[in-house]
Formats: sequence, C-alpha cells, structure tokens
Amino acid sequence: MELISQIFGGVFAFGPIAAMISASILGVFIGALPGLNPVMAIALLLPLTYSMEPLVALGMVAGIYNGSMYGGAIPAILLRIPGTPAAIATTFDGFPMAQRGEASRALKIACWSSAIGGTASAIALMTIGPVLARATLYFGPAEYFWVAMFGMASIGVMVGKDAVKSLMAAAFGLLLGTVGLDQLSGTPRFTFGEVWLLSGLDLIVILVGLYALPPVIALAEDRDLKGLSASALKLESVKVPWGEVRSMIPTWLRSSLIGIGVGILPGAGGNIAAFLSYNAAKSTSDDPESFGKGNPLGVAAAECGNNADNAASMIPALTLGIPGNVIAALVLGALMIHGLQPGPQLFHQNPGLVGGFMVQMLLTSLLILAVGGAAATRIFAQVQRLPGVMLVPMILVLMAVGVYVINGRVIDLWVMFAAGIAGYVLEKLDVPLAPIVLGLILGPMAEQSVRRALLISRGDPTELFTRPLSAVIALATIGLIVWPMLRAWKRRRA
Amino acid sequence: MTERRQDIILGGVFAATGLSAAYIAAGYRGASGIYPMSLGYVIAILGAIVAIKAMLKGSSEPREIIRNAPQALLTVGIGAIYLALVPILGFYIASALLVLALPAALGFRRLLFTFVTAAIFVGIVWVIFSVILEKPLPMPVWISY
Repeated sequence: MELISQIFGGVFAFGPIAAMISASILGVFIGALPGLNPVMAIALLLPLTYSMEPLVALGMVAGIYNGSMYGGAIPAILLRIPGTPAAIATTFDGFPMAQRGEASRALKIACWSSAIGGTASAIALMTIGPVLARATLYFGPAEYFWVAMFGMASIGVMVGKDAVKSLMAAAFGLLLGTVGLDQLSGTPRFTFGEVWLLSGLDLIVILVGLYALPPVIALAEDRDLKGLSASALKLESVKVPWGEVRSMIPTWLRSSLIGIGVGILPGAGGNIAAFLSYNAAKSTSDDPESFGKGNPLGVAAAECGNNADNAASMIPALTLGIPGNVIAALVLGALMIHGLQPGPQLFHQNPGLVGGFMVQMLLTSLLILAVGGAAATRIFAQVQRLPGVMLVPMILVLMAVGVYVINGRVIDLWVMFAAGIAGYVLEKLDVPLAPIVLGLILGPMAEQSVRRALLISRGDPTELFTRPLSAVIALATIGLIVWPMLRAWKRRRA
Repeated sequence: MTERRQDIILGGVFAATGLSAAYIAAGYRGASGIYPMSLGYVIAILGAIVAIKAMLKGSSEPREIIRNAPQALLTVGIGAIYLALVPILGFYIASALLVLALPAALGFRRLLFTFVTAAIFVGIVWVIFSVILEKPLPMPVWISY
C-alpha cells in the first residue's frame, strides 16, 4: 500500500504530469513529420534529462514514445506516407479511407486503436514485469552472461536482411563497449593515450549520432522545399457509431495480444507487430477482399498492434537489462543516466521508480485520446507543411547542443558526427544499427558476468554451461543462431 | 558500385578492424585482454564470411549508398564546418549561421521565412538551455579570452 501511494505520489506530481502531457504532444508532432522518428526524438531528448528528476525524464520518454507511435498514423492516413516505419500497415486501409473522404473517421479509429493497444501493453508490463523480475533473482553471473548473449543473438538474427552482418554489427557493438578503463582491473583499453576515452564511449553520444544524423541526411537528400499539403484535406469531425466500435473489439483484443507477444521478443519491432496484426485481422475477416481498399478494421488492427508493442518491449529491458528494441535501449540509457542499473535489482532497489514508469506508460497511452482528438489532429496535419530543408539545420543544432551538454566537450560533437556518418553508410550496406547499440549497452554486462562466473569457478569455463538454468539459456542461444542457418541450408538443398 | 564489391570492401574493413583490435588487445595484461581479443577475432571471422559470401554469390546489381550526392555531401560538409566553428564563434552564432546557411545551400530561397525561423529557433534553444537549464555552452573565442 505504501509502495502504491509512493508510485502515484511520484507520478501525479506537477513535474511528471507536465512532462507527460508536453511530451505526448511533442511525440505526436514528431510522429506526424515524415523523416523524424521516435528513436531520433528520444535520442535527442536524453541528454536533456541529465538534470531532471528521473520520473520527469521517464515521463517524457513515455510520452514521446506513445505519442509518436500514434502520430505516425496521421501522414500514413492523409498522404500515404508512414510517419514511422510502424505505420506502414496503416497506409493500406487508412489512405483509401481518406481518398473516400473518410480521413477524419480513419484518424479517429487510429487514435482509439493506438490508445487501446498502448493501454493493453502497459497493463502487460505492469503484470508480467514484476513476475519476471522475481524469477531472475535466481540468476547468477553465468545466467546473465547467457541472457546477454541470447538478447544479442536474437537481435542479430531477427534484425536486418543478413544474419551474418547483424551478428558482425553486434560483435562490433560489444567491442565498442570495451573502450575505456576495464572496470575489474583498471587497465585502459583502446584509449590510444587519450584521456577523454578513459571513461569509454558515451552511449548517448553514439546513439544521437547513429540515430539522428542518418535521417537528417535523408531529409536533406529529399530536398523538400515546400512541405506537404495535408492542409488541403477535409478533416471535419465525425462520429463513429457504437455498432462499429463494438465490431472492432475482437480486432483490438487480438492485435493487443500479438503486439504484446512481439514486444516481449527481443529484436522484433512495432512494424512487425502491425503487419502480423493486420494479417491476422484480414485472415479472420468474413470479407478479406475489402482489406487494402479502406476497411476500418485494417486501420484498427495495424495501429492497435504497433502500439501494443510499446510498453511490452520494456519487459525484457527492465527485468533483464535486455532491450527488446532500440527505444527500449534508449530507456535503459535514460535509467543509466540517473545511475540506475536495469535488471531485477531495479525492481527491488527502486520499486517506486519502475512502478512510476509503468504507470506513465499507461497514462501516456490514454493521453493519446486527449492529444490526438479531431481538432488536435487537424493542427498536427498542418505541421507537415514545414519545409524539410528547414528541419535539417534545426535538428543538427539540437544534436550538437544535446551532445555538448552531456560532458561539456567539443570532441563529443565529432564522435557523434563520425558515428552518424558511419551509421548512414552502414545502413545503406544493410548492416543494422540496433545490434551495435545493444552491443554497446550489453557489452559491459556480458563481460563482467563471464569474468565473475570464471572467478567464482576459479577459471573453470564449464561453470558457464553446467548450471541447469545457464545450460537452458545457452542452448536456446545456440539454437537461435543455428536454426535459421539449418533452415536456409535445407531450403538450398530442396 | 555493385553490391558484391561493396560487401567485399565492408567485410574486409570489418575483418581488418577485428584483427587490429585483437592484436592491440593481446597486449593487455591478464583477463583484460582476453574478452576484447576474442571479440576482435569474432569480428574478423564474420567480416571474412561477409567478404567471401559476396565473392562467391554476391549480387552484381548496383546498390545506392547516397541517393542525392550533392545534397548529402553539402549537408555533411556544412555540418562539419559548423562543428569546427562552434568553439571559435561560440554555440549561438555558429548555430544561427547554420540555420541561415544550410537551407539556402539546399536551395531554399524564402529569405524572410528563413530569418524569422532562425531567430525564433535560436531564441527557443537559448531560453531552454541557457536560461531554464543554465547549461554552459561554448562562447565566442574573443569572449573566452
């Protein structure tokens, strides 16, 4: 009871409430602007949160995350341009609805579906998270090592077109994580005599570069001098009849479950959840031919599915320290900024903070209903009139100021810039960036765990495999890597 | 450039990076070096696999790396000049110049709109970072002295 009052007392203070509302609005704006995405927005926001209270910072992250995932539906429906990758499936039926003059109805359905998916996901986080955190108390260093490897392997296999490139990126991220003073022996590694490298590569500096610069260069390449013309669309308010709302309930339930399942799985993202939900809605429909031609259930399934992924992706992040997607990785970054170590200890040492963040994920999902209403959506549609070329220098300035304030070093600006250019080139060469970031986050945990396990076993490496729990996770990790290879080999032989 | 050639170069770069890292890590004492050395070898092996795979069955289709080279290079170039100017001109002057110059360089010709947007934007950044958050940002070199 005391904990509940501590959680609600923390969340319903002025700072966190203001942060959630303003960030939800900002999130919808960001999602509505093609070229900007929630990852970039949160990466830019993180340096700002250094001086904030943890619940204010996490409230902003939750608001931007949930808000932008809905915001992506606005240009998807109005202009057939997905604001975020997760909104691609929304274009299938959303845009045909807009062409029929039902843009407002489609946006309303998207708004409700996003709120319902996000709420279901937050409830899953609140119920599954603490249970999983309790189970992980039985984990020792060997289990943690394999959990880190499992997370890396699943992301390596699931993200990107080529599993070898993804694994290579993951290993490179792990290597970047070794730069700086070795925490166990104090040996400087890969510092090349540079004092500023002793503390290692700053996660946020790399994140901002990797995730903010490539979209900025892409915006410049688009050379959008006029902005989009969403303002020409008619967006008068409409009422969706109760009968239609009732017909969507099974779709919302199914899509929520799919989104939650996908969210928990490391490596899978909102776009996969949206596609799976959309396909499930289509295959269970009495009229599958109407999908892709403006069926409201298509919009409901896609939007509910991609938002149901949001909070669920935090489950492995908060309980195991294994981020399910890049945004979850950024949330880990936000927690680390405030000196908190994700994992089971987080639930025991900072229950008020974890509980508060879970409540914030729930509240910001519901806030979509308030900030994504008909009038607001009309305003957000106007945002798309901003010429893209004006956004390019503004984002560069925000990147620079955000990165500079972390350590007050100009060198960090160049590290960020180099990371951004590397990220731009690597993405074009089909090398996914998420495994690099996750490697950077999980690297120290993996190394410390394996070295602690070996210290405990006095150098006996069988310790890593012989404990029942570690053996199961190790086998699962090996299976995860070997299974796709076997399937590809069998397919080639066939 | 074809996908095959790009992947051979990519694999080669990663293999060389991995081997260099392993070589450097071999010089670290005790357990400090084993982990990064192992990672270096793993990267080298995976890089070699990428390169060999590309050699054996890589696509000879071209793969676009820069969609619009002049715009992308202009942005990167002006971005680099901006970063170089920050410690000299200070954060706000350099930022204002960037917001004015980059859209113009990219072909945006609505000067009044650019000036007003730049002024409002730099003003907002100043209020947030210098007034509210009181973050020390680089000052012009003549004021620093």
